[in-house]
Amino acid sequence: MKNILTVGFKLSVIWRYGLSVILVVIALVLTYLMQRAFSIPFWFLFLAAIMVSTWFSGKGAGIFAVILSTLVVDYFFTPPLQTLSLAPENLPFVIQFVLAALATGWVSSLLQEREHSLRMVQNELEIRVKERTSELENMNETLVNQIAERKRAEDALIEHAGLLDLSHDAIYVRDMNDVITYWNRGAEERYGWSREEAVGKVSHRLTQTIFPTSLEEIAEDLLHTGRWEGELVHKKRDGTQVVVASRWSLQRDDDGNPAAILETNNDITERKKAEEEIRKLNEELEQRVVDRTKELEAANKELESFAYSISHDLRAPLRHVVGYAELLQKSASSTLDKKSVRYMMLILESAQRMGNLIDDLLAFSRVGRVEMQKRMINTEQLVQEVVSETKEDTEGRNVVWRIGSLPNMYGDRSMLRLVFENLISNAVKFTRTRAKAEIEIGSIDGEEDGMVLYIKDNGVGFDMKYANKLFDVFQRLHTSEEFEGTGIGLANVQRIIERHGGRVWAESQLDRGTTFYFYIPNPQEI
Amino acid sequence: MGEIGRILLVEDDLKDVELTLTALDEYNLANEVIVARDGEEALDYLNRRGKFETRINGNPALMLLDLKLPKVDGLEVLRRVKCDEELKMIPVVMLTSSREERDIVESYKLGVNAYVVKPVNFHEFVDSIKELGIFWAIINEPPPGSVKKA
Repeated sequence: MKNILTVGFKLSVIWRYGLSVILVVIALVLTYLMQRAFSIPFWFLFLAAIMVSTWFSGKGAGIFAVILSTLVVDYFFTPPLQTLSLAPENLPFVIQFVLAALATGWVSSLLQEREHSLRMVQNELEIRVKERTSELENMNETLVNQIAERKRAEDALIEHAGLLDLSHDAIYVRDMNDVITYWNRGAEERYGWSREEAVGKVSHRLTQTIFPTSLEEIAEDLLHTGRWEGELVHKKRDGTQVVVASRWSLQRDDDGNPAAILETNNDITERKKAEEEIRKLNEELEQRVVDRTKELEAANKELESFAYSISHDLRAPLRHVVGYAELLQKSASSTLDKKSVRYMMLILESAQRMGNLIDDLLAFSRVGRVEMQKRMINTEQLVQEVVSETKEDTEGRNVVWRIGSLPNMYGDRSMLRLVFENLISNAVKFTRTRAKAEIEIGSIDGEEDGMVLYIKDNGVGFDMKYANKLFDVFQRLHTSEEFEGTGIGLANVQRIIERHGGRVWAESQLDRGTTFYFYIPNPQEI
Repeated sequence: MGEIGRILLVEDDLKDVELTLTALDEYNLANEVIVARDGEEALDYLNRRGKFETRINGNPALMLLDLKLPKVDGLEVLRRVKCDEELKMIPVVMLTSSREERDIVESYKLGVNAYVVKPVNFHEFVDSIKELGIFWAIINEPPPGSVKKA
């Protein structure tokens, strides 16, 4: 304010002194006109000009107006007129005028100052009021903001609580003494207690919680990690039990002290039931497998004892038939006629044949029962062994062997030896009618997970329409007069190859020869 | 021909006994063959119990033992013989119809001296018995204490 006034003084110095000049000139003109009209000098007009000058333009301008007025009065109205010189008799008047003018100026200045200070106080007051008002306004605004914020937070809280209520999970908050402070709708539905009933109760007591470990352990875990997860068993209001997957989260206050625990419980009773059922089913299944295995083992044992009894008991009477027939043949040979001797021969032959059949059948059953001992086998060596054993049968015959390079294979050596024995002796047998027998043993590439071997001969061959009978037990495609044998060999071959997880097949043309193929898988990589 | 020792034939089947004796007789080996019809009788004979209480002391020079026997079976007889300090030296030959691997393995585990499968063919049967008799009763020197031919 002061500054503005000072600036006012400075800026209007010309205007203020100019105002004094103008006011004094106006007073001069009016006084002059009034003196002309009424012959009475109205000095007070100058006093008025001084007063106004002082009031509006300050002390300086007032004094300037006093000086100017004095000079004007001296010049225009005090004889000698039109000069500034002063007659002594007029001096008292001039002094009087000057004093009056000064007094007027002083009074005016006093009044003005009073007025000014009054205005200052008023201004100050106004400013203070304004300041307070604005302060109040600010406070009000802050308050409004705070209220709005609180309202928003409250809305959010209500919304969040509403969201928690939407959850199917039972969610509740409890303080560090396990007293429930919040209980959502999910909890109401799950347990049957309303919010009003639950809040204020000790949670574990209310739900009769059964813990998987001691509560101290859980509490320690919770304080340490801030959370805990586990399965709890709770009792509902109606007394039924529920199994829940429980998640606890620890809430800490601003100082880091544990303040509350948020517990979320998801009902897994049904899941547990299902799991239990699955477990039971699995157990049952396992039991069934055990039972079935036992049954199979028992059946296998029975089969074994059956084979054993055939081996032992069936052969004894056969041996007796042969034995006594021979003894009879010997003791009665002189008295028997030709026909009877032939009959005797036939009895012996048949008994012998039956003995062979029993032996073959036992061997076949053994092939299916005996435990396999698999390992890598040097195929070429095995084939050479078997081929050299046929030397006796090929004596005096022209047999050309062509044995290619054979990959090693994985299997039970004695069983696979039986395979080669059967296939190679077959090849030898069925080329008997050939002037030059050709037997080829080789392998075929192309199988990724195993190997295919073949045994090819240029023998009598067979009609492919009987190929499906080839591997049946006691099936023969030739009469025993043509070629001997019981018809068990290829059945054994198939059984052994199949026990190795492979397969066997044959291609043949009557009178052109036969090729047997078999496939053996590689050892499975573990 | 030297001395022929006693042969203990343990066989339940009379026909088999007859055929065996016939085979042995064909080669003059049937003398002094004692026949036991089951495992118990065989053990009684060996231990001189029951009806064999009064027999002359001494072990047979050879025992031909069937596997499948009434009362005490062949493997059990074999086990008891081979566990007995007095009897374990007796040469035991299994003479049986069984070609079952487990029987063969079990017999050898128990210390059998030979295992012979009775062939169906009578010629072969006779040959087997003959060879057995010749080897064990004539060629083989029986352990001391075996009963010699009277």
